[in-house]
Amino acid sequence: MSSKINHHHHHHRFNTQIFPPPCPHLAEFRARNGSKPFRALQDCLRVKPPGGRAAIRRDPSEVPRCGACGESARPRLYACLACAAISCHAPPGPSHAAAHATSMPPGHEIAVDVDRAEIFCCACRDQVYDRDFDAAVVLSQTATLKSATIQSAKPENLRKRRRVDYRPWSPDIRDRVLMETGSSPLENGSDLPRGLRGLNNLGNTCFMNSVLQALLHTPPLRNYFLSDRHNRYYCKKKNGVSNSNAGGKRNVGTADGHGNKNARLCLACDMDAMFSAVFSGDRKPYSPAKFLYSWWQHASNLASYEQQDAHEFFISMLDGIHENVEKDRHKPHSQGHGDCCIAHRVFSGILRSDVMCMTCGFTSTTYDPCVDISLDLEPHQGGSSKSVSTKTHHSCNGEVDGMNPGQNCGISTLMGCLDRFTRPERLGADQKFFCQQCQVRQESLKQMSIRKLPLVSCFHIKRFEHSSIRKMSRKVDRYLQFPFSLDMTPYLSSSILRNRFGNRIFPFDGDEPDASNEMSSEFELFAVVTHTGKLDAGHYVTYLRLSNQWYKCDDAWVTQVNENIVRAAQGYMMFYVQKMLYYKASENRAVS
Amino acid sequence: RNSVNRPPTPDAAEDLGKEPMFQEIINIKLIESGEKERLMELLRERLIECGWKDEMKALCRAFIKKKGRNDVTVDDLVRVITPKGRASIPDYIKAELLQRIRAYLVQAAV
Repeated sequence: MSSKINHHHHHHRFNTQIFPPPCPHLAEFRARNGSKPFRALQDCLRVKPPGGRAAIRRDPSEVPRCGACGESARPRLYACLACAAISCHAPPGPSHAAAHATSMPPGHEIAVDVDRAEIFCCACRDQVYDRDFDAAVVLSQTATLKSATIQSAKPENLRKRRRVDYRPWSPDIRDRVLMETGSSPLENGSDLPRGLRGLNNLGNTCFMNSVLQALLHTPPLRNYFLSDRHNRYYCKKKNGVSNSNAGGKRNVGTADGHGNKNARLCLACDMDAMFSAVFSGDRKPYSPAKFLYSWWQHASNLASYEQQDAHEFFISMLDGIHENVEKDRHKPHSQGHGDCCIAHRVFSGILRSDVMCMTCGFTSTTYDPCVDISLDLEPHQGGSSKSVSTKTHHSCNGEVDGMNPGQNCGISTLMGCLDRFTRPERLGADQKFFCQQCQVRQESLKQMSIRKLPLVSCFHIKRFEHSSIRKMSRKVDRYLQFPFSLDMTPYLSSSILRNRFGNRIFPFDGDEPDASNEMSSEFELFAVVTHTGKLDAGHYVTYLRLSNQWYKCDDAWVTQVNENIVRAAQGYMMFYVQKMLYYKASENRAVS
Repeated sequence: RNSVNRPPTPDAAEDLGKEPMFQEIINIKLIESGEKERLMELLRERLIECGWKDEMKALCRAFIKKKGRNDVTVDDLVRVITPKGRASIPDYIKAELLQRIRAYLVQAAV
């Protein structure tokens, strides 16, 4: 972390935040005193429970007063960094802080807000920013125990492969010959885009069909399988097929004994077969029977012809791909970084959980991988002004311009759910958390945020409530509005932390500037799985967005629909893909 | 005959310094007991929940867009949003805070 402030006249971008250049007085203060006064200030900072804000430490009985007028009730009181004199600044009244700067010899212009720990230039009469100061404030707000700083809580395996520019490729003569002799061109007849094919219902399997349709059109997943990254013939040969018939293409259906069953069970191979079939150009509805059978073998407790939960199937399926694809690699724990299998490469992100003790401010941080985010709907209709989400006035496209404050439309929105997901939550008296600093269980504040976004974000709306107490289940039918474009920036850990610490500029996690956070927070909706009907007698349908046209996939029937139909549908799982994909320098290892 | 000499009604809060000592005493008591910090946190929470903070943020953004990023000071922003800010605080928040302060004074007087 460089302590030199650049004396350039333009602003620097750093982790999406602009670095304002210092005013001449601040620059001079730093030149004269270095960053020592800021770091020394760390001892004077105190975290004020229950909010955990940093303020200048003082005795509870000590009431700060302006040295000039004796007032203590002013909204802003500043303590001079040179002589600790406290002055008030409350325009349009007289600014005793400014008076202090002018009446004292030079060097008394920089002061700190006693309640907010923000620095102010009394001569310029404006807030100024300094990285070392903000770093000191952040350090004081996080754990004071040496073992638990932000640095040490960083997730392991956060390897930073350098980013490479996209290099377009086109085949040369030899490649062309190879392609032409080894393949046959597909028919190009239809109006419908490629890859649209109905899936036959094999007996209450719409829960599976709906998720499969979404996955068949998940861009990174689709690209992976269509580029032959998992070749089912090669995979079977590699894993050894015991009852192999001549020409190992034919699948042996029955489970053998013992270890051979796992060797032949490969959900990725079945997916590969499905991708080939669906993108072949054949428009007759496809029956995913082999896939269903394989999945039954993997999730035997769910193997029946009863209606299942689509989300449960989704999780189970990703798990199945994970288990069977990368058996030979030794990467069981880096799920968060997606190095283990294609399922996690596409869907896995990292969630950050901060639990802050409300007595001493000590914060405990943990990182957990996740393949999707399950969101609660609002507990009641958001009609009253009290509990309306603050982001309901975003338009349908998630655009932020033209905000109409006070427009309480009372509709539940996806962004409202994400708001609630990342809001600080008070853990009640019955959920006290053991605070390492206090060494007792204390009431705490918990806040979630997203440390790393996945390539594809799946949002699962918890519409099915199962109450074990009341021994009943019910479905929540409330409409949820979801945008077609989604900017996830406000839910990132960097944004959440920035809000928590107030007006600070500081390098997040001490990383070098990683533009990936800056640019790849924008997502586009490409698939919506909807549920209609009752809990036990319902139907899943998937809407797909291809070339900005929407298509309804209802088991075997695929039709083009207007986007308003999709907007009005009851979303159960929404799939968003990053608008822009970046390529990292490849590691030298064989990809399966 | 107007023989009743009534003290002048106190002006709006801008007129700090001329307020009777009573308010000063309450303020000090609130700070010393830590109640003021708790009230501030409560107020912050309520103002965020009801969207007031976002409204003010939007006003600030609009002002900065108009004036230019390099021409705006904190004082300007405070000046711009104060009238609308004070006026748009929902009544139920004011009522809740008054109730809390009242309750505090009752138990502090004992």
